[in-house]
Amino acid sequence: MGTIRENWRIILLIIVLVGSLFALFSPTMAEEGSDAADLASSGTTNLQYGLQLSGGTRIRAPLVGVTADGVEFGGDQAPAIEQAVAGELDGVTVADVIVRPTSQTGGTVEVTVDGVSPQDLGNALDASGYTYEETREGVTEQTRAQAVDILSNKINEAGLSGGTVQQIQTPTGENYILIEVPDENRQEVVDLVNQRGSVRVDAYYPTDDGYDQVTVLEQDDFQSIGNAQQGGEGQLPNVPVVVRESVAPEFQQEMVRTGVAGQGGSRCSYTSNPNGTDACLLLIVDGQVVNSFGMSPGLASGMRSGEWAQDPRFILQTQNFSGARQVAINLRAGALPAPLDIGPDGEGTSSFVSPSQGQQFRTDSLLTGIIAVFAVAGVVFVRYGEIEVALPMVVTALSEVVILLGFAAGIGYPLDLSVIAGFIAVIGTGVDDLIIIADEVMAEGDVNSRRVFQSRFKKAFWVIGAAAATTIIAMSPLAVLSLGDLQGFAIFTILGVVVGVLLTRPAYGDILRALLTRDT
Amino acid sequence: MVAFEVPEVDYTRYTNRQLAAVPLAVLAIALLIIAGWYVATGVPVNPGLEFTGGAELRVAVDAPDGQAREQIQAAFDPAPESIRGVPSDNTYILTFQTEEVGVSALEEQARAAGFEVESSYTVSPSFGSRTQLLALGGVAFAFLGMSALVFLMFRTFVPSIAVVVSAFSDIVIPVALMNVLGIELTLGTVAALLMIIGYSVDSDILLNNHILRRSGGFYESTYRAMRTGVTMTLTSLAAMIVMTIVATLFGIQLLAAIGTVLVFGLTTDLLNTYMLNLSLLRWYKYEGVGN
Repeated sequence: MGTIRENWRIILLIIVLVGSLFALFSPTMAEEGSDAADLASSGTTNLQYGLQLSGGTRIRAPLVGVTADGVEFGGDQAPAIEQAVAGELDGVTVADVIVRPTSQTGGTVEVTVDGVSPQDLGNALDASGYTYEETREGVTEQTRAQAVDILSNKINEAGLSGGTVQQIQTPTGENYILIEVPDENRQEVVDLVNQRGSVRVDAYYPTDDGYDQVTVLEQDDFQSIGNAQQGGEGQLPNVPVVVRESVAPEFQQEMVRTGVAGQGGSRCSYTSNPNGTDACLLLIVDGQVVNSFGMSPGLASGMRSGEWAQDPRFILQTQNFSGARQVAINLRAGALPAPLDIGPDGEGTSSFVSPSQGQQFRTDSLLTGIIAVFAVAGVVFVRYGEIEVALPMVVTALSEVVILLGFAAGIGYPLDLSVIAGFIAVIGTGVDDLIIIADEVMAEGDVNSRRVFQSRFKKAFWVIGAAAATTIIAMSPLAVLSLGDLQGFAIFTILGVVVGVLLTRPAYGDILRALLTRDT
Repeated sequence: MVAFEVPEVDYTRYTNRQLAAVPLAVLAIALLIIAGWYVATGVPVNPGLEFTGGAELRVAVDAPDGQAREQIQAAFDPAPESIRGVPSDNTYILTFQTEEVGVSALEEQARAAGFEVESSYTVSPSFGSRTQLLALGGVAFAFLGMSALVFLMFRTFVPSIAVVVSAFSDIVIPVALMNVLGIELTLGTVAALLMIIGYSVDSDILLNNHILRRSGGFYESTYRAMRTGVTMTLTSLAAMIVMTIVATLFGIQLLAAIGTVLVFGLTTDLLNTYMLNLSLLRWYKYEGVGN
């Protein structure tokens, strides 16, 4: 009984260590964790690795846009306001203006296109006769949430497994969208998220004076969207779709009126001869015509007879298979309410690490850590010359790292280079404190009674506590500020100091006492 | 096993002025360098990519020695601002500080030249300047927080200010060294500066604690504090030197940057703690309080 009470700190340390090892290696924990954390985990442990150590792409960027708050709608409906505001601004279409009612009579107006300043939006609202409280950079919370949903959808639809999208806010109030995708090529991810992804189909048809263009199908007009098809047998790659029953008759009518569903179908030569072609359908993604096509005689006759609307299946043709895939992804995920501000003059950052490089970093940083530990151990052994003092010191310092690793595995915190740097810092401060304890306890001759030990240990602890407090203060800005790469470093250094002061360093005191006061 | 002992310094041979003169002179030179740098370049220390904005590529080049750099120079338009080889594998770290060409275009250029893109990183200038502001604010906050805590712990002016001045010098001298050696301010070096605040205060607190709060003569207390403190600093120093060398060989820039700056800081700390802080404490103990 007595030994347990005396050595409870050591016992507690052992219990926590066992718990950490369990979190690190137990396969049961891994199964639970795999749903929550999507980042790559290594084979033997439950540790999650961040992009730097597993490879992948990370993009952090704000959404493009300006917002007017507290706009009085004066009884107008959203579409009318959108039209009015878009009309006042150069290069802004109705699709770039979002009106969100927040009360009975008013709400917010956002313009989500590059090159419009809050001032411009204010002027446009003034010119259209709407009063507002203020205009500012940035978009509304709803728009951000919607963007996060749609980006997640896009990443899932594109089959980029394990990708995550989230909103982050800096302490200074800027909002960013953070996208992380393991393994994929950076360019692929950028292409995917860079597209607004608004898809529409226009009819382009000859009239008495030239050609006219009218939108016949929009994003919401599809009942279901099939998988992209390779095509072949004279057919281009395409996406089979089903048009909503509610819009099918109208679409059918438009096809007949514009002559796309003409007698014997239509042959489109929009790209080669835009001023002499039959009527065409244009597939437009983000305002760019990605393909133009006519209609087969069979489909055309179905439309003319009105049978097609009973079974409104349709195919959207594209130039190539990757185009078909993009169209399918965009249709299913929806269009982004605002584009991400990435690109040469954007506000965002992006980083990409190839999987092989990540793997290399993982082994290299592990090696670096181990070598640093050896350096510490070397100095300690040379300094004390007593294995009884030095060995427990190194073991105790390492146990702090094991506990932190267990913690990281337990909560699924992805390990990055900065976290590894944190571990090395923890070993550094840990050993420092253990040196203080050892020197204090062994000062002035042998420790032969427990009371002497206790009083010396307490003295040592004052310094350790003070040092720990300053380290925590010094690191806390980094832990809170979203300086991205360094947050992990600060969090784990602080955690290490806390674990050290509360758990491992007192336990080292007990170990030392057991070794030094063995006779009494 | 041979145990090394921290040598006992005979402080009685030097006056307080003599002791304080050396670290203060070094601090003055460091401040001069930083001020000169500020006058010449407009910034106290050169900010790195993370703060200025720009792009960084790490490419694997399959070329015989010596030719790789030429190939890299030829492959990119605009040419990279800096090219650094990583000794452990055949990769090169290139930085570009340009706003006109996006990192996507640079990646394409790299692939077109037959290089393998191992990693890429890009920061926009506006994001970078905001990060810089946050980082500097963080360092300032950490320093002020530490100072407040030290004053709370010792509740007397001279010993507290001794710690704060030492810590200040521990930060300033590495920053000046960064300028001299061409090391840029990055997130890694900011982290290292914060760690210096944490580490350097340890030995100062230890010294103050031994001298002010323990029984025993001044020199005896000093020697005991030094034995422990110097061991602590040497251990950390050993770890950081090794980490710097290994991380540089492997091309892990973050760890190398942290290591380098900490080596500067810890070395400076030895100087400041056992000369500057000590002389202030001795003055306080023998003359300041009138005993």
